[in-house]
Amino acid sequence: MEMEKTGAGVAVLSAKEAFEKLEKVGEGTYGKVYRAREKATGKIVALKKTRLHEDQEGVPPTTLREVSILRMLSRDPHVVRLMDVKQGQNKEGKTVLYLVFEYMDTDLKKFIRSFRQTGQSIPPQTIKSLMYQLCKGIAFCHGHGILHRDLKPHNLLMDRKTMMLKIADLGLARAFTVPIKKYTHEILTLWYRAPEVLLGATHYSMAVDIWSVGCIFAELVTKQALFAGDSELQQLLHIFRLLGTPNEEVWPGVSKLKDWHEYPQWNPKSLSTAVPGLDELGLDLLSQMLEYEPSKRISAKKAMEHAYFNDLDKGHL
Amino acid sequence: MDFDLENPLGNFHDLPCDAVPSLFLIESDHIPPPNYCQSFKASDFDISVRRDVVSLISQLSCTFDPVLPYLAINYLDRFLAHQGILQPKPWANKLLAISCFSLAAKMLKTEYSATDVQVLMNHGDGGAIFEAQTIQRMEGIVLGALQWRMRSITPFSFIPFFVNLFRLKDPALRQVLKDGASEIILKSQREIKVLEFKPSTVAASALLYASHELFPFQYPCFLRAISDCSYINKETVVQCYNVIHDITREEYESVLNINSTSDTPVNVLDEHFLSLESEKTNGTNVVTQEQDFKRRKTTDYGNNRTVPFSHFHQC
Repeated sequence: MEMEKTGAGVAVLSAKEAFEKLEKVGEGTYGKVYRAREKATGKIVALKKTRLHEDQEGVPPTTLREVSILRMLSRDPHVVRLMDVKQGQNKEGKTVLYLVFEYMDTDLKKFIRSFRQTGQSIPPQTIKSLMYQLCKGIAFCHGHGILHRDLKPHNLLMDRKTMMLKIADLGLARAFTVPIKKYTHEILTLWYRAPEVLLGATHYSMAVDIWSVGCIFAELVTKQALFAGDSELQQLLHIFRLLGTPNEEVWPGVSKLKDWHEYPQWNPKSLSTAVPGLDELGLDLLSQMLEYEPSKRISAKKAMEHAYFNDLDKGHL
Repeated sequence: MDFDLENPLGNFHDLPCDAVPSLFLIESDHIPPPNYCQSFKASDFDISVRRDVVSLISQLSCTFDPVLPYLAINYLDRFLAHQGILQPKPWANKLLAISCFSLAAKMLKTEYSATDVQVLMNHGDGGAIFEAQTIQRMEGIVLGALQWRMRSITPFSFIPFFVNLFRLKDPALRQVLKDGASEIILKSQREIKVLEFKPSTVAASALLYASHELFPFQYPCFLRAISDCSYINKETVVQCYNVIHDITREEYESVLNINSTSDTPVNVLDEHFLSLESEKTNGTNVVTQEQDFKRRKTTDYGNNRTVPFSHFHQC
């Protein structure tokens, strides 16, 4: 009653009434993901439902901050769009938050796997287009001072028909990633993790995302993960075997990092040995993405300007 | 995901102007629409009630970072633009003030005591204590009206970017300039007319105003740097600069006014009070004059962010 006096009496269609759940497509720590149809428009959406862990404080600050960021980033065509946020109540009277995202029918992980199964290579121009879109989306996030920190093929959504790529799992949306236990053969987040993170750096920079982009780039070419470690130590050793064990000369400050130890000494190998089939310009871009020293790693914006993309038709991207 | 909420451009100190078009493109999502100011100008009542709610928010925020009340008042204006006019009921405006304050505190990761908030809100009368659930529902209403775009792009977001254009080498001088501009931005927000301008325009104008006061000999260089920025409309900056100049001048003059002990700018209440001076001989007017003076004093009190917390108990 009191709320009506502040103009709050307007009726808002509840999430349950507005959408028809078609199927559950995922489940995570905080809630469930459904493919759903918006009744008013017939549009297919991804509905992510999460219970707010309220106490006396109402909407938790973390939720508030992260939804706000998703709303801000949704403007870019290469970030998955958060179309709406609806608050509702479940059967027990608890507050539930529905995040309404545009629906994408596949992700880069499935896309790569489909080529691996058929034994075909992903066409070079397709790789170039996907990589350009990825750099563009990341440049947009970084332009807003936002790091992703968990880039991997699984959270790069794709539309198979248009070959559009969109970054997902930013913030709260990340909570819906399928739990690791369902992929016992793979530790998702380690493979794309930057060496400074593995070595215990606490101050992240945008360069951690660029490292992940580089790993994804190589994987698009070879259809296999570039550095497939099954522990943090193994992950580091995989990296060092290819790029050489870092020292103070190539990476000033590396030996001061918290988790630095003595490691076997490898000399760097040519990237072309690990990523056969990538042309010279592509190898140059990849090498700049996989620079050891974070401050020397190429930025997403500079990557978009690299000559590797010169012959790409960017008009529709 | 990691970010500095107040300083999203903080990582770009050494990058050129064209590296950060993003915030300029979307800042309009985070201010009231252009007709908001017009709707206020049509009603003196709405202006005074907005000022009262702004005052309430300032009281709540007086011990916190000044960015907090700025953000809360931004939410207030965007909410009013969406939901329509303020309610005449004091309790409803208090609830709105508390909700905007609470949401801003959450966005800024600021801890506060709900009990202190309630005490502050009831210092003036025996009003109702708001239950936590009531505040939560009001927060939900504000969130819906603002479409959860709570990470407002404020003028503070642009200050590091523009200061970088000025190419001041000395970090201490840069900080002095930033602080001066920030103070101007905070003061300006109290007045409706600044809301007509985009945050980037307000930031540029405030910096130019501060640089004119602090570094007059370098002012022409700063002006040229702002003018050369392709994301800024120079004419609009000039208009905004003039508005800021008027607001700051009004505040300066009010300090000199021997009838006023406040540092607030001249407003409709002050004008009314001054007009009554000329009719002092009328007994009825003397009574009215006294009432207005007391009311203004209460308002002034809320606007003085330096008043220690303990003073509120004396009201």
